[in-house]
Amino acid sequence: MGSTACFIIVSRNDIPIYEAEVGSAIKKEEATHQHQFILHAALDIVQDLAWTTSAMFLKAVDRFNDLVVSVYVTAGHTRLMLLHDSRNEDGIRSFFQEVHELYIKILLNPLYLPGSRITSSHFDTKVRALARKYL
Amino acid sequence: MMLAPSETRMVDPAKTFLGKMLLEEITPVVMVLRTPLVEEACLKNGFNFVEMLHPFCLFKNIDVPVRTASDQPYRLHKFKLRLFYASDVRQPNVEAAEEQLKQVVVHAAERDVSDLHSDPPELESVLNQTKPEALPSWFKIFNKELIRTLAFSEHEAFDHPVACLLVVSSKDEQPINKFVDLFNTNQLPSLLNDGAMDPKILKYYLLVHDNQDGTSEMASNILTEMRGTFGSNDCRLLCINSGKDGSEEKQDNPWSAYKNDVPLSEDLGCLLNVNDLNEIKDLMQDLSSKHIIPHMEQKIRMLNQQVSATRKGFRNQIRNLWWRKGKEDTPDAASGAMYTFSSVESQIRVLGDYAFMLRDYELALSNYRLLSTDYKLDKAWKRYAGIQEMMGLAYFMLDQSRKDAEYCMETAFSTYLKIGSSGQRNATRCGLWWAEMLKARDQHKEAASVYFRISNEEPSLHAAVMLEQASYCYLFSNPPMLRKYGFHLVLAGNRYYLSDQRKHAIRTYRSSLSVYKGNSWNYIKDHVHYHVGRWYAILGMSDVAVKHMLEVLACSHESISTQELFLRDFLQIVQKMGKEFEVFRLQLPITNMPSLKIIFEDHRTYASSTAVSVRESLWQSLEENMVPSLPTSRTNWLESQPKYSSKKYKDSSICVAGEAIKVGIEFRNPLQIPISVSGASLICELSARSEAAASEIGGQYRDSLVSVSRQQNDTEFRKLVSSWEQNSSNSLFTLSEVNFSLGGGETIMVQLSVTPKVEGVLKIVGMRWKLSGTVVSYQNFDSDDAKRKNVKGRRKGKQSSSKNLEFVVIKSLPKLGGCIHHLPKRVYAGDLRRLVLELTNDSESSVKTLKMKISHPRFLIPGSLEDMNVEFPSCLERQANCRNSHVQANTVKGSNSCFSFPEVCTQHVLDVDIQGGKTLLWPLWLHAAVPGSICLYITIYYEMENVLSEMKYRTLRMHYDLEVLPSLEMSVQISPCPSKLQEFLVRMDVVNKTSSENLQLHQLSSVGWEISSLEPDGTICPSELLMDGQALSFFFKLKNCRKPLTEGSITSARLLQGSDVSLDPQGSNEVLFDISSSVLEDFYHYERLHLGKSIQGHQTTVDFILISQSQVNSVNHEPGWQSDSTQLFSHYACLCSIASTSPVWFLMDGPRIVSHDFSISFCEIRLRMTIHNSSNAAVSVRIDTSDATSSTVRLSDVAAASQYSVSSGNQTGWRDVSLVNDIKITSDVSSSLISKASSPDGITPFVWCASSSTRVELESMSTTEIPLQICVFSPGTYNLSNYRVHWDLRFPEDKALGDGSQQSSGISPGHPFYLNVLQSP
Repeated sequence: MGSTACFIIVSRNDIPIYEAEVGSAIKKEEATHQHQFILHAALDIVQDLAWTTSAMFLKAVDRFNDLVVSVYVTAGHTRLMLLHDSRNEDGIRSFFQEVHELYIKILLNPLYLPGSRITSSHFDTKVRALARKYL
Repeated sequence: MMLAPSETRMVDPAKTFLGKMLLEEITPVVMVLRTPLVEEACLKNGFNFVEMLHPFCLFKNIDVPVRTASDQPYRLHKFKLRLFYASDVRQPNVEAAEEQLKQVVVHAAERDVSDLHSDPPELESVLNQTKPEALPSWFKIFNKELIRTLAFSEHEAFDHPVACLLVVSSKDEQPINKFVDLFNTNQLPSLLNDGAMDPKILKYYLLVHDNQDGTSEMASNILTEMRGTFGSNDCRLLCINSGKDGSEEKQDNPWSAYKNDVPLSEDLGCLLNVNDLNEIKDLMQDLSSKHIIPHMEQKIRMLNQQVSATRKGFRNQIRNLWWRKGKEDTPDAASGAMYTFSSVESQIRVLGDYAFMLRDYELALSNYRLLSTDYKLDKAWKRYAGIQEMMGLAYFMLDQSRKDAEYCMETAFSTYLKIGSSGQRNATRCGLWWAEMLKARDQHKEAASVYFRISNEEPSLHAAVMLEQASYCYLFSNPPMLRKYGFHLVLAGNRYYLSDQRKHAIRTYRSSLSVYKGNSWNYIKDHVHYHVGRWYAILGMSDVAVKHMLEVLACSHESISTQELFLRDFLQIVQKMGKEFEVFRLQLPITNMPSLKIIFEDHRTYASSTAVSVRESLWQSLEENMVPSLPTSRTNWLESQPKYSSKKYKDSSICVAGEAIKVGIEFRNPLQIPISVSGASLICELSARSEAAASEIGGQYRDSLVSVSRQQNDTEFRKLVSSWEQNSSNSLFTLSEVNFSLGGGETIMVQLSVTPKVEGVLKIVGMRWKLSGTVVSYQNFDSDDAKRKNVKGRRKGKQSSSKNLEFVVIKSLPKLGGCIHHLPKRVYAGDLRRLVLELTNDSESSVKTLKMKISHPRFLIPGSLEDMNVEFPSCLERQANCRNSHVQANTVKGSNSCFSFPEVCTQHVLDVDIQGGKTLLWPLWLHAAVPGSICLYITIYYEMENVLSEMKYRTLRMHYDLEVLPSLEMSVQISPCPSKLQEFLVRMDVVNKTSSENLQLHQLSSVGWEISSLEPDGTICPSELLMDGQALSFFFKLKNCRKPLTEGSITSARLLQGSDVSLDPQGSNEVLFDISSSVLEDFYHYERLHLGKSIQGHQTTVDFILISQSQVNSVNHEPGWQSDSTQLFSHYACLCSIASTSPVWFLMDGPRIVSHDFSISFCEIRLRMTIHNSSNAAVSVRIDTSDATSSTVRLSDVAAASQYSVSSGNQTGWRDVSLVNDIKITSDVSSSLISKASSPDGITPFVWCASSSTRVELESMSTTEIPLQICVFSPGTYNLSNYRVHWDLRFPEDKALGDGSQQSSGISPGHPFYLNVLQSP
């Protein structure tokens, strides 16, 4: 597992609907907004890249210093974005695929309004478990 | 694919920004050596010699024919010379250069400070800007300055002087010697001295003559002398200062364009006239076209030949490679000292650079290429990178092979970085060129990333500028990458702040806000707003600072420490402003507008806040018959006050002067840290009655204004503030101020109130509170109306939302307050106690016609005034004298009954006693009928004594919750007594279900029946104290004592007849309670009502009342309540059915044992059957007998014998019978006997004599006897149950089958009757 990893799900309206710091490093106060900045800026790149390929996993799309942004775009144009400093592409791919499944389960919940914030604690626990497993 | 369109679009690389820059920057350098007198002459014009020549170094169309190395002719059009003093031809001082760069940045910041106050630019306007406008011009200046810091490096030849201009004044003594001295002094640049470049340099000799010093004759002489000494072509005379001071007016000063950073002085070049200018122009033209360009051309040819001879061709290449390999052993000489001007490498470099400067890019490129491999093999990395850089530029200028150009720049950049700190600045320059190259090709995204890479290598100030340029690249890219733009602006701002450029920092952050505005990436927004706010505060612009800080206050997602930081800084800034800061709709704490709840009292008044929250419809149904129909209250006063009948006030609510209107609203603290709020109060407008008409017009005007909300906010805010200020001086109403503090994440409901003092129209506009004593927030209510739900149902439901904060205030009225004293929250079921209702009237005028209604009369009933003074519970005890008839007169029974207070009492208490403290006390009786939670609603109606008042009546609503815990549970089983007609056996099971209460059973009463103990001495049970959880069973005998209906049924309508049994172990030494006492009886009535039965008319059911007592009062610990007194519990078990459903009771009677000598004859036995009609109607009864079978006899014989043997020890006879049939005495016992009896058999042991069917008619409540007879033929035990009783009710004509629940006819099987017939001896 990389020392820094920030996972975020961005809805099709560019609103973050789920955020999790999944890195093993001790969380620094200023890191959170920095991560948001990087991920937010990376959306510009995703916007271009997403339509050039049919694959959902876009691999590493952007980087900032030694931090890399990997992105997975679902069919509904929800973007799963991971900011990381490790180089484990296969692990990230698996992580994204499983989180995508979890996200679909969330979507199937009739009480969940697509595009709204994901507040399920079960989802959170599962994502963190996946992060420990793959990243 | 993406590149294709741009490839066609870009026509000439020389026209691009980079091309222009290269044409300006990579041009021949002319070193200037001059005497001080020359300088003196020039300074009269306000500039030095080089500055004087500067405008004339640039040739727009020089049109010089040049030949390439391969004799291809071409013409040079644009050309530029760079002139430097010899002292400047060296590496610039690092500190000075840094300072210079900083000045550029600071200067730009000063210019921008003006618009720091304005709002940040909108995103649309940013996007609409075309590129050159949007990019601040000072970036170019900065970049140029940054590149200049690298001038005159050793490893690059294009900064090496091509020619040397030696200038001597005509005033100088021995000018020829001066010329020689100038070049020979040791002040020549190190480049020439240490062998980096060829000291043999083109020289040009210039004599400057100042016309103010006299005529030019002497100068001409010197010139002739010079020509003789230095050669005729290389010498020239320049006359300046020919004009009179200030007389020469030039249309456009050629110097002004170059010296724009100093204030433009008019005397710049004031002494130069047109001739002088022309002469300078000619000089420069001559210098470049006749000397420098041909010189360079010639040098190119020479070098080219030399290079071709040594390096070109296959043989040379092989040799070169071998030779290089041999050199590999020598240590790396990165310093470049090994390459002197005479080395082949340097010569190639010079060749390349000269070719580049003369636009022969192909030649330049081929030489660079040749050289780059050499340097690479030599590991002279800095030179290698320099060559790569030039290759990239040459590729660019040739406009071919973009990939190669980029590859070269990339290699150069990374190679510079590889060699460490010495190459850093070179890398920057390379990067800048690279970025420009990419920008020229519309590859803005790539350019941005190059800028970003540069920023990593530079100190923070430079990095900031680079990052800002990167951000603009993202903005200009197609499509615009706004998020990247914002991010890089923030990065730049951060660097600016680190290098103390706060204004720049604010500027960049503010620009980034246009991107981040309105997005929901919380941390980003907080970061930007917080920092902008803080920096503004540092600059002392608190008002703008606060505006930004307000944005970050409600940051519930941040950590506690961040929240504390934000709040602390915010409050500090506010304090710095030195006054109370007023803000519209502060987000801290958050007000929950949908929770807005307005409580006011018109004709409905409430005793407590819980009564307010009860549904209006509930009250209405309760008050249904009590109050006059609703609209009367309004129309009445509206008619009397036509002023208010206008449409405007039709929907307004009514309130009474002097009575508070309460507004409840929720405040939520979004932070995890506690905050304190003080002085929360409402903002109201009250126009007194006389002004109402005037304000109406104003109000309409205002309504028409409320259309555009965006700008409205501000005016709304102003209005709130002004009306608040008006309030403070106004005494038309009083406002409550609430102070409270909110813990982290806490939500509280705050109740604010306003009390109007005069009549008029009151409007609640908004509210105001103060955060931490410094920030005042105003909030209006109207704007959120759309979202607000109507709290009070009908009261506001139909009204338009803008109106329901308006109240018509009417004259003050009397208002009753009320409460019930000592009403416990929890009681045990069956608890019976007396409560006191207290009504107070605080006003001056009096009220009349008090009425009261209670929602649950089963639980709570009003008592009579006499009940106040008697002692409880002894007042319920049976007394000698009979009950008074007072209660009966007053209380009206029925579920919708309404209790009117006797006029006498109210007269006495409320009307007569007008002085303060008018209080009416009235007793109420509470009986907790069933376990559960009960809401008691009490409404009291009263009318105004003063008929002129605007309201006729008011109601007081009270609400109490009562929790009833289970206590005793009583169940009763009744079965007919087998031996006696009209007598029943009662089994009562009592379970104490309380948790910790010991209950003492006191008495059991039955209504309408006579109850007595089974035991003759009257004791029921050894202990009647029932512990918690304990169960007991009691047995009683019950006898019908009811008279037939015909006798005096009217008189018994009210008073309960019945009998009581004491359950006390001591017997009857304690007084029994009178169940016909008013309270017990009333509750009994309501209990019956609850079951839906009238009190009379059922003979087959019995009602029991169990009364118990508790000595220890553990339920109720309220102080002031006598805890040592006994508590009384009464339990009602109504409609306990007696066993038989048949209205006809019958009993066989006769001898049980008969001795007879069967040898003589068979035995005849006479029996009697007693039949009783318990119904209200006449009945016809028929008795059918059928002969018994032998098997029945035998069966019952055996059974009887075995039963006898078992139970022979038992003394009490009635139990024997029960054993035979079954354990329980229930009504279905007989059914089992029928089946036994019906089995067929041949021999009959006995036969019924006389007729097999007897019919009798029985009147209601009458008894008759029918004789029966059997013949027995042999001794044995006989069961004489093989008969049936058919009965048929004969209702009178008018009452035909009125009661559907009762059967009109039926068949009852015979009761078992055992007869022993013995053979007499």
